[in-house]
Amino acid sequence: MASLAVANLVHRKLRSALSILAVGLGVAMLIVMLGLSHGTLDEVADRIQSVDAELVVLPQHENIIFTGGAAFSEKYRPLIEQVELDGRRCVASVVPVLFDTVRMGGQQQRLFAIDAADLPIFLGPRRLASGTFFEAPLRLAAHLDTLRNAQGYYDPTRVDPAALDAACELLLDSRLALVGGYRVGHTETILGRTFRVVGIVESGVAGRVFCPIQVLQYIKCAGMPWASMFFVKLAPPPTGHEAGYADRCAAAIADRTKARVELKTAYGALLAESFSQIYMYINSASAVSILVCFLFILLTMYTTVLERTREIGILRSLGAGSGYLVREFMAEALIICGSGTAVGIAMAYTAKYTIETVRPLLTVRISPTFLFLAAVIGLVGGIGSALYPGLRAARIDPVAALNFE
Amino acid sequence: MTHRSDILLEARGVQHAYREDGRTYPVLHGVDLTLRRGEFTLIMGPSGCGKTTLLHILGLMMHPTAGRIELDGVELTGLPDAERTRCRRERIGFVFQRFNLLPILSARANVELALRLRRVPLDGQVGRVLEQVGLADKAHLKPRALSIGEQQRVAIARAVVGRPAILLADEPTGNLDSANADRVLALLRDIHAATGLTTLMITHNERLADVADRVLHMRDGRLTE
Repeated sequence: MASLAVANLVHRKLRSALSILAVGLGVAMLIVMLGLSHGTLDEVADRIQSVDAELVVLPQHENIIFTGGAAFSEKYRPLIEQVELDGRRCVASVVPVLFDTVRMGGQQQRLFAIDAADLPIFLGPRRLASGTFFEAPLRLAAHLDTLRNAQGYYDPTRVDPAALDAACELLLDSRLALVGGYRVGHTETILGRTFRVVGIVESGVAGRVFCPIQVLQYIKCAGMPWASMFFVKLAPPPTGHEAGYADRCAAAIADRTKARVELKTAYGALLAESFSQIYMYINSASAVSILVCFLFILLTMYTTVLERTREIGILRSLGAGSGYLVREFMAEALIICGSGTAVGIAMAYTAKYTIETVRPLLTVRISPTFLFLAAVIGLVGGIGSALYPGLRAARIDPVAALNFE
Repeated sequence: MTHRSDILLEARGVQHAYREDGRTYPVLHGVDLTLRRGEFTLIMGPSGCGKTTLLHILGLMMHPTAGRIELDGVELTGLPDAERTRCRRERIGFVFQRFNLLPILSARANVELALRLRRVPLDGQVGRVLEQVGLADKAHLKPRALSIGEQQRVAIARAVVGRPAILLADEPTGNLDSANADRVLALLRDIHAATGLTTLMITHNERLADVADRVLHMRDGRLTE
């Protein structure tokens, strides 16, 4: 004979299936909510990690997700470049980025305006899926350099309109291209100008949309070489001084510029910090979904006690003790919760596949931590929700229970 | 004269009263009962006279309002609930009027349950008992697939499979037609004859008087020989 718990579950198939489904939904909701929120931010952080630099220089006291506009004037770049540590320059190169926001692929995208010459730093080993890298922007940059004065400014009225129009180029990442159906040659109006998609790169690069920084500086800053933030590539550390080198460089740059300097590897944590309120909401919503799930199990098990009062009376008359009844109820709840957790994990993976197929810009990252959390919740839920009904069953008066109709 | 060691169960001055809406309804008025080992005893009486209440008290499913019960010389009424449950599980077999089989289990599983609760090995006992009650070929069926007579035979098998010290039968033929009732009575007699199992059966059916070694009568909560 299988355990009484199994026999009960098999006997009441529909109720068992619904209970397992309810637990599964709660677990899947938890995993997907956590996976979606963390996955999307982690994906952004991972893309930033792909930049070949060690530090990011941000405006002081500014939330990282709102970093934008021309926060840094032209004086900052040379300041950073000249920072010294232990009597030698520690910065190999400074890569300015000017941010703006564009609407592409059905949602807001952060536009990464960069110097065409810096493109390899952003692309790394990723290849072009189609098209070419920026070409006309290199010519525009050369043209602008001929116009600049000693401070780096130029007179916008002297810029060759044809060179400017030709430099209005976009590079997209393949996920955005897939979502928006963009191909090389597609044109998009941004900030009143017509930009042309010239290349599509493999996904995983820092930005989904790149344009030449000179163009955006012309449009938004009247040609002034300002930036929203900098990536800083450090010179190799002196032998024997590798430990903590990047931290010390960051401190030196921060001291020199009074800007916020962070390790690129800390970007994920900074993003998470910026989204702490949203995480609080997500965690609260997850907790509520799990609570509802537990209440459902509790109600199911409690209803089971009421429904099976007579059976419990029979068991009591046969000499079933409290421990036996509690164990049986717990076994039943654990089977429901265990199966529900397994079903929930399968549903979560199905949801991940569906979400990432329908909305490729979203990332659902299901980490072992979330799976472990789901398993623990299933276990604790099973024990917790069976305890009260089990104890109640154990206290039922056998004679009254046998007479229960 | 009855020797002390011949006595299996002894009840002295057992009283019971139900309380409802602040009022007390006495049911048993100081019942004295002695059951000797291997004896088949019948308690007869009209409905509502207190037979079932007495059986539930002797079977440790209820506490008497007053009085004492000894099984094998051990006083049971003052035992903690866990001990009473253990005693009920290991020493007492019950047959109910309404069979009280678990509908989710097969006939075999219902019988096995009595042994599983005791945590004793099955050792083929279940098969032997089911054969004894004539249901070996229907052991896989659930109660709803059995006739009422067959259900009662499964209940008897469950009650005796663990070789209890005493079998308590509460109107075991009360829900059966006469053919099934006769078969169940014959079965109880056969088991008693084969095992010497001390049996106490209650009924309101005067027709059953000749199945027992000894017949007691109950009226208004009092027993008479």
